[in-house]
Amino acid sequence: MNDKTASGSGPANSSAEPLRIGVYICRCGGNISDVVDVERVAEVCRHLPGVVTSNVHTFMCSDPGQKNISEDIRNEKLNRVVVASCSPFLHELTFRGAVQRGGLNPYLYEHANIREQCSWSHKHDPQGATAKAIRLIAAAVGKLRYAEPLDQIRLPNQRQALVVGGGVAGMKAAADLAGRGIPVLLVEQSERLGGQVNRWNRVFPTEQPAAELLGALRKQVEGHPRIEILLRSRVTKISGFIGNFQVTVEGQIGPAGRRTEVAVTVGALVMATGFLPYAPRDGEYAYHQHPAVLTTPEFLELLRHAPDAATLQFQGRPVRSIAFIHCVGSRQVEGVQEPQADGKINNYCSRVCCTTVLQQALTVRQRFPETEVYDLHQDIRTYGRGHEDYYIQASQAGVIFFRYHGDEIPTVALRTDAPAGAPPLRLTFKDYLTWGEELTLEVDMVVLAVGMTAGTCQSLVEQLKLPCGEDRFLQEIHPKLRPVEISVNGVLLAGAVQGPMNIRETLAAAGAAAVKAAAILAKEQVELNPYVAQVDADLCEGTGQCVEQCEYDGALRLVQVVNGDGKARQRAEVNPGLCVGCGACVAVCPARAINLNGWRLDQYEAMVDGLVAEAPALVAATA
Amino acid sequence: MAAGFVPKILVLATERCAYPGADAVGKAHQEYGSNVYVFRVPSPVLFPEDFYLGSFARGIDGILIAACGSDCPYRGAYDRLAKRIDALTARMRRGGLEIERIRITAICTVCIKAYLKEVDEMNAKLLKVGPVNRAKARLLQEQAREELRSSAAAVAA
Ligand SMILES: Cc1cc2nc3c(=O)[nH]c(=O)nc-3n(C[C@H](O)[C@H](O)[C@H](O)COP(=O)(O)OP(=O)(O)OC[C@H]3O[C@@H](n4cnc5c(N)ncnc54)[C@H](O)[C@@H]3O)c2cc1C
Ligand code: SF4
Ligand code: SF4
Repeated sequence: MNDKTASGSGPANSSAEPLRIGVYICRCGGNISDVVDVERVAEVCRHLPGVVTSNVHTFMCSDPGQKNISEDIRNEKLNRVVVASCSPFLHELTFRGAVQRGGLNPYLYEHANIREQCSWSHKHDPQGATAKAIRLIAAAVGKLRYAEPLDQIRLPNQRQALVVGGGVAGMKAAADLAGRGIPVLLVEQSERLGGQVNRWNRVFPTEQPAAELLGALRKQVEGHPRIEILLRSRVTKISGFIGNFQVTVEGQIGPAGRRTEVAVTVGALVMATGFLPYAPRDGEYAYHQHPAVLTTPEFLELLRHAPDAATLQFQGRPVRSIAFIHCVGSRQVEGVQEPQADGKINNYCSRVCCTTVLQQALTVRQRFPETEVYDLHQDIRTYGRGHEDYYIQASQAGVIFFRYHGDEIPTVALRTDAPAGAPPLRLTFKDYLTWGEELTLEVDMVVLAVGMTAGTCQSLVEQLKLPCGEDRFLQEIHPKLRPVEISVNGVLLAGAVQGPMNIRETLAAAGAAAVKAAAILAKEQVELNPYVAQVDADLCEGTGQCVEQCEYDGALRLVQVVNGDGKARQRAEVNPGLCVGCGACVAVCPARAINLNGWRLDQYEAMVDGLVAEAPALVAATA
Repeated sequence: MAAGFVPKILVLATERCAYPGADAVGKAHQEYGSNVYVFRVPSPVLFPEDFYLGSFARGIDGILIAACGSDCPYRGAYDRLAKRIDALTARMRRGGLEIERIRITAICTVCIKAYLKEVDEMNAKLLKVGPVNRAKARLLQEQAREELRSSAAAVAA
């Protein structure tokens, strides 16, 4: 595998057969053809060197569109294909598939982006857009001249999974994986499974006791013959790649806290490390300045232990009124709220806190009918099925709503002058349900509806180079098309580690992550994309300049080889499992012996040639 | 400067950040010049100096390197790239090629405004300096290539 022979420079049509390129231009309904004169593009491209067929289709990604490609490959003996359509991020894989079904190596395919980067961005310049589309296709055709058939890199697969985090997401992922016959190591840092849900009483929207829900999930993982659970344990070291991650788990066994270390190799891992409720700063809405300012999780704890009564009691005093403040630590506005430790504000919506507030407000009204409840929100976002009922019921139960604006947040002050027994807290805010009137409320308790913030997986993020979004949560490859995958192959995302989610969404994500992980682990071997460095053994002079540039241990090294003449010499060798395909090595090679497969330097040069070719050259009929 | 001159601008856009950023511009139906061509690259760190100069020699008037900046997924790549572009601009300055023709910047997946600003500015600058002197670029390309080639001998010695 390390010795895949490269065919080096020159028109690398490996079988040395003449180029027979098919060009397919998509109308994308009218998304492309309303601006780009696709018929003309097809006509000009028919004369590009090596092109034997050039066609327009209304929807290339449709079944008939794809069939066109595979059939032409067979009938017209095509050996290269270009599709000019939407962004490669949408359909490059689709068309590689079509090429493969036609019996051609899928890497003898190029994509020209003439929608996002042409028709959509040059709407008022149809001529310019048409010319640009032609040049982009000419560049793709140029690139194909030097394309080589590539094989996916195949490596042995370690067919077991690691699940990091034993909340609802981790348990669900572990159970589903084990259910598909895959051995799972489930690592949880705390002393029990269940995560944050351990702290909730009844969960919306089902009102099922949290303990019951967790019990049902625990039953699926505890004692399962294929699931090993390590509590009070953390992953301390992780390296490797899909199919082959080396993991060290450090744990404390027994009350004495004896440290143990376990080393395992897994083929895939599921990140299920969850979230942390937002921790308000000291003094933020008087938090930590007065004991009766609580967060929603703290308030749930209070509710759990409080006996039903006419009025809720707190520290031996009746709580006659409570004000809930929404969006604490969420939907923050730049310049209004103090930034977090990393200098950013949390401008996202945490999605669960609105329903949480309404659920708690309703509980208070039902269990403590003489405790008044005020609700201060920016908006009410009860977006899930059954969630809006909480709003309706809370309104009917007498909860009083106020609406503040995000750039004029309420203030909470201690009433130092309050007579004994009077409400100790004063809220001031402008209410936009009554046209911005400034109001004050004196209350016995303030509950801060804290949002969800990114959890505790920093060490894994750093070791695996996992990308995080602006909001610090782990970031999927594509929010819609690849929602549980992350750009590091073999790592899947389950639950709130990826962003605010309720339990239902968490379990759906965990199930999806398990399926994706199982699909990876179903194979004897893993297939990696072939875009790694490759050394042309004939050109390599063995000076090792490339090796100095490589930042990835083991990806590139010098080895001794013995020539036909019996003389030993050095040359560079790539380990395709460890090479990440950054290309740092390519730029420094004096002999141009090392290149990135699929992104060769000569291909880029040919692309530039395609771009700059003048009209006569564009229509020259010979290769 | 030639009348009716339309510069050719090449954007080397990283697969992870700037290329999706350029897509985002289109998705938002924001417009820019159709003389701007985007190539997708894993990381522009893979290009030797002579690639840039060779592109100028072929008739590209300006190159915008749209990288990931501090979000670069590859260890050390951005620093190496930045150093190479420093060396390249120094060489261009010495060889009498306008350094306005090259620019390195970071564009993220949603940086629509930044992308538009960069390509518009590049267009404006190129209209000022005019078409690239391809012969000069060719000389510099050969010089850079030769230096790289002879670096092997230096290592071997
Ligand atoms: C106040 C509040 C109330 C809520 N109420 C509801 C509700 O009623 N209904 C509902 O549907 N949703 C509710 N939610 C949302 C719900 O809590 C989440 O959907 C759920 O907890 C997400 O589960 P998870 O497994 O992804 O994360 P978590 O529950 O955070 O679990 C993550 C687990 O991973 C472990 N872990 C973290 N880092 C590591 C590490 N490095 N190594 C090993 N282990 C690690 C943690 O100890 C934890 O056990 C509420 C949220 C809040 C903030
Ligand atoms: S769910 Fe409601 S309280 Fe939470 S951040 Fe969003 S709008 Fe604010
Ligand atoms: S492409 Fe990057 S990781 Fe691969 S061998 Fe070259 S420098 Fe190393």
